[in-house]
Amino acid sequence: MDFLAPFIEVLTPDNMKFLLEGFWVTLKVAAISIVLSFIIGGLIGILRYAKIPVVSQLLAVVVETIRNLPLLLIIFFTYFALPEVGIDMEIITAAIVALTIFESAMLSEIIRSGLNSIHKGQIEAGRSSGLNYIQTLRYIVMPQALRRMVPPLVSQFISLLKDTSLAVVIALPDLLHNAQILYAQNGSNVIPIFIIVALMYFIVNYALSLIAKRLELKQA
Amino acid sequence: MISFDKVNKFYGDFQVLKDINLTINKGEVVVVIGPSGSGKSTLLRCINHLEKITDGTLNVNGLSVADKKTDINKLRRNIGMVFQHFYLYPHKTVLENIMLAPRKVLGQSEKEAKELAMYYLDKVGISDKADAFPSQLSGGQQQRVAIARGLVMKPEIMLFDEPTSALDPEMIGEVLDVMKALAKEGMTMVVVTHEMGFAKEVADRIVFMDEGQILEEAVPAEFYENPREERARMFLSRILNH
Repeated sequence: MDFLAPFIEVLTPDNMKFLLEGFWVTLKVAAISIVLSFIIGGLIGILRYAKIPVVSQLLAVVVETIRNLPLLLIIFFTYFALPEVGIDMEIITAAIVALTIFESAMLSEIIRSGLNSIHKGQIEAGRSSGLNYIQTLRYIVMPQALRRMVPPLVSQFISLLKDTSLAVVIALPDLLHNAQILYAQNGSNVIPIFIIVALMYFIVNYALSLIAKRLELKQA
Repeated sequence: MISFDKVNKFYGDFQVLKDINLTINKGEVVVVIGPSGSGKSTLLRCINHLEKITDGTLNVNGLSVADKKTDINKLRRNIGMVFQHFYLYPHKTVLENIMLAPRKVLGQSEKEAKELAMYYLDKVGISDKADAFPSQLSGGQQQRVAIARGLVMKPEIMLFDEPTSALDPEMIGEVLDVMKALAKEGMTMVVVTHEMGFAKEVADRIVFMDEGQILEEAVPAEFYENPREERARMFLSRILNH
């Protein structure tokens, strides 16, 4: 029972409420960033796949630049550098913007390579039946590509959820941030708190990967 | 109906089609043969603009294919295409594969498209597979679905690009039977194939190509019995004596 004692001491209703508040911020920031970066990344991925002159090349430069920067730097930049040029954001907005910029670049690559993986013959079959380019993309290429993209997309979503914790550096009141406050009050609680925090991240991320497996099986 | 006039095509410096002159009339069945790399598939694919010609004139159904003002999607509605590797849409059922273009290109209603799709599935002899996915069908069945998918647009021309080359031998017959029936109904067909039996039975004309050129055009009996060109003779002896 000695092992459980520290947990019982930490797991007061107040502490749990405080951690869950932090977790709620984590989930909210992750969810909004996932939706936004999926839309923006999807758009970029499609535009690059379509090889539109100039636009595609420009986007390639932007995507490659962002992909090769550390996310931490982008978070710092968004919160500390942008105000210098008059763009001032609240912490939570800055976190969402930084994550969205970074993840859009990552997702656009997944989406572009997913589209590229569809055999040229599929496009020729569609086009030769009289469908235009956009119809062919929409009814033939995209549905097939999306199925193939599910595993890498979900793993990127899981990364994003974990990466929200990097925003502690700008004091985003997320799960990890609130955990730090708790063990700062009583250093002997650090191990049980970390274990509880780990469990929270794990449960949500593992659930996500289970859903992804389900989706894959359904399509097989 | 289809006329090539001094058509050339290059891939970079490599000339795939050399001074092609060929006229195909309505209701004609033309079989294109020749060694691999001779440009026969390219020739076929120029007809529905899957490949662009470099120069010359190519008219199909009274429209100039290379003309920028030509609505290519409209031109393609009237040309069915069957590929060596079928290219059915794997995420759609057989019925959905056939209904897609009529629904989205011609704007047919669900009911209308479905009735038409069932009619053509019946015609190619696999109406019982309407709700199957392509992966559940044999190669021969997949190719027959692909033919139905082309026919459902009621095209005036059907193009076949080695339609039996990817099939197991015992499935070739079922696909050729569908094609023969189609030819007898008066469909204008351009067929790239090595199936000599088919060519002899239904082709109005054989076009022999080598190194991007049309070397010989003749009726099948004449071509197979007494080819004029030395290269055609060599090609025939090779495919006959393997």
